[in-house]
Amino acid sequence: MRPQLENVLREVEKVIAGKRDVIEKILLAMLAEGHILLDDVPGVGKTTLANALSKAVGLSFRRIQFTPDVLPSDITGFTMPDRKTGDFAFRPGILHGTNLLLGDEINRASSKTQSALLEAMEEQQVTVDGKTYPLEKPFLVIATQNSIGMAGTQLLPYAQVDRFLVRLSIGYPDYEAQMAMLRDRQGKNPMASVRCVLEKDELAAMQQEVCAVTAKDAILDYITRLTMASRAHESVAVGISPRGALFIDRAAKAKAYLENRDYVTGADVQAVFRDVCAHRVLVKENETGLTAEQVLEELLKKTETPDRHSRFQGMMKK
Amino acid sequence: MNKKGMGYAVWLLLAACLYFFENNAGTRVILVCSLVFPLVPPLRAAFFGPDGTGGKNGKRRQDAGMRNRPGSEEMPAEPLGNVRLYQPGDPVQRIHWKLTAKKGELLVREAETVRETAEKPAAAAMEKPKGTRDRAAWIPVSGIVLCLVLLAAVSEARRGAMALANRVFAASEAANAYAYARFPVPEGQGVALAAVLLGLAGALLAALALRTRSRGLVLGIMAGMTLFQVYFGLPFPAWINLPLYGLMALGLVRRPVPARAPLYGLIAVLAVSAAVFSLFPNVDPAVESASERVRDWLGRMAMQLSGTAVELPEGETETRHVHTRSLEAGDREAGAEKEYRLVTVEEEQVSAPHRVNYLKAALLLLLAVALVSLPFAPFLVLNARRRKAAEARKAFLGDNVNEAVGAIFQQVVAWLEATGYGAGNRLYRDWAGTLPDSMEAGYPDRFSACAADFEEAVYSSHSLPEEKRERALALLKETEDALWRTAGRKQRFRLKYWMCLCE
Repeated sequence: MRPQLENVLREVEKVIAGKRDVIEKILLAMLAEGHILLDDVPGVGKTTLANALSKAVGLSFRRIQFTPDVLPSDITGFTMPDRKTGDFAFRPGILHGTNLLLGDEINRASSKTQSALLEAMEEQQVTVDGKTYPLEKPFLVIATQNSIGMAGTQLLPYAQVDRFLVRLSIGYPDYEAQMAMLRDRQGKNPMASVRCVLEKDELAAMQQEVCAVTAKDAILDYITRLTMASRAHESVAVGISPRGALFIDRAAKAKAYLENRDYVTGADVQAVFRDVCAHRVLVKENETGLTAEQVLEELLKKTETPDRHSRFQGMMKK
Repeated sequence: MNKKGMGYAVWLLLAACLYFFENNAGTRVILVCSLVFPLVPPLRAAFFGPDGTGGKNGKRRQDAGMRNRPGSEEMPAEPLGNVRLYQPGDPVQRIHWKLTAKKGELLVREAETVRETAEKPAAAAMEKPKGTRDRAAWIPVSGIVLCLVLLAAVSEARRGAMALANRVFAASEAANAYAYARFPVPEGQGVALAAVLLGLAGALLAALALRTRSRGLVLGIMAGMTLFQVYFGLPFPAWINLPLYGLMALGLVRRPVPARAPLYGLIAVLAVSAAVFSLFPNVDPAVESASERVRDWLGRMAMQLSGTAVELPEGETETRHVHTRSLEAGDREAGAEKEYRLVTVEEEQVSAPHRVNYLKAALLLLLAVALVSLPFAPFLVLNARRRKAAEARKAFLGDNVNEAVGAIFQQVVAWLEATGYGAGNRLYRDWAGTLPDSMEAGYPDRFSACAADFEEAVYSSHSLPEEKRERALALLKETEDALWRTAGRKQRFRLKYWMCLCE
């Protein structure tokens, strides 16, 4: 792993113990310029994690708690008449000037509010009253949705979920981690000790480098075969979208970059495949009783790896 | 069961089919010669060469070694200086696996030995410098031309040749109960000069064929022989025809054996089939009547060419026409008998007009071809595998290190998979965990390192340093070694012949 990113990881680990893999995946999404959907029970440290991350990377961090009465204009900003000048003035929303936005319980927001946020995520810009405002770069959204307490929630539509790069869940800490956390919080809040070890600009440069990572045809072929197989799978209603394939590619590149390589291997694709695609596969109900994760496992098992595939296809030459 | 056995099994099945389909002498001849063909070593060698057959390769090389150096029966090639210890950098295909297995250390063949054994020893004996061969060919060619000119020019010889043909016709008549067109020559015409000239020409032609080993010439002789037998309706007996055609088919194959051996095999098969069909004209009425038609057609052509064309009545064969004429002329020898025969012919034509069953003839021919060529199929397959394996090896030492490392590692994986140690559809870097215990300590680590090299070679856009290739080659060697060491008898056979490990 790259030393700078290792530092970031260590800083974040100060506040969230024993969740190294999750933090790594969040870093990965950050490098791939993708957004993260945290699907989790309440109180496992989603906000803490996002906060620590923003501190360690020197990002400006904001948090919005979604409720059914949060309006789109709260997110995108709005124009209102200024009494002094008699003119309309733009009141920026929460997106403006934010690098890392934590949208808590996004599934409690009304659908129009969800749409407002997700469109901004996709396009990295906000248009209000015909005027377009670019967002800060890097711009990263960590949205959470509670899997329990579904009362008063709007389930995120598939099209919206598709825009997140990865869906993760932090999960409960194990015994040692929770003991360590309790012990740490006896004195002062560990959040104060998180230092900024990576500048915003450095992160932007890293994102550029991730884009430049080599992905050979054999790898792209593997991704294509995986996604096509997901669409053809008998217990899948909706398979992985072309955007999903694009996201797999990007995430795999970020993974390779994390591993200090400038080329993507089959292992990178396999490593990110589950996280990137679990929320993109809609499983038919009452069919075979498979979950999306099981389907993905099956796909990984059955689809020929690029290592083997290249043997018969002669793709190594490209 | 290996592929060779499969090939034989299928072939035997076909033979059985043919036997039930057409239980006659021709079938038996085909059966016998297709059985004999692949079993006679010189025949096989002629068709597939010393490096043609996968299975017999080692043995042949051994034979060659013994021939070169008399008195070294027990330990061929080993103490003879053409084998030395393996040194890093030696091509893997040079490794003498047999001796390696015996000695316990890697031995490689020297380069010249490989080339030398690749050629048939007979080839060296037969091969002459081109100039001498051409000059030598002049003598028989001019002899043949001279004979033919004499035959055509000297009237005594021309008439003698015609009389000779008549005698052959007479012999054919006695054998077949048919009469054919005779040439108008005075009775008592001497045939000695014509016979001498013809015999001389034939002998010179044979000598020429032997000398030049020209395929066209041999094919021509074969065609001429067949034509002769068909035209005169006087087939030679099997014990002459079979060896004659077989020898000439052999003559079609030039040594060292070219890649087109199957083509020559096919030609030989066709020749043998032709011989068989001309041998037994009375076996199948279809074949018989085909031969008759050819004769008729040839005769008509000859008549038209010589200007003595006779309008034949429609629907009547020439055979009968000629018969009638010869009866009218009053043949003194056996008029009564002839008349009887004529009646027979007429009856036959009236009651059942002859139809050539082309379908049946084609089917029979096809079956015969399949029968004689099938035994060779396994050898051809093995040969193809061998060539493919050799090509793969060539890539190992190519200029592009990336490609070489990729190919080498794929080969390692292929070995592991072929010997049942593969981990299936997994990334190669994950294979290290499932490698067999029989490998030496540290092998999984070396495997993982090479897997990483492989990934870099295949998926990255920068080129690898030379030592990575060496590392991969070392792994390949170690893998092959270990797999060979731990393989059982059957497994070794598979590795050696089917997977071409020894080459």
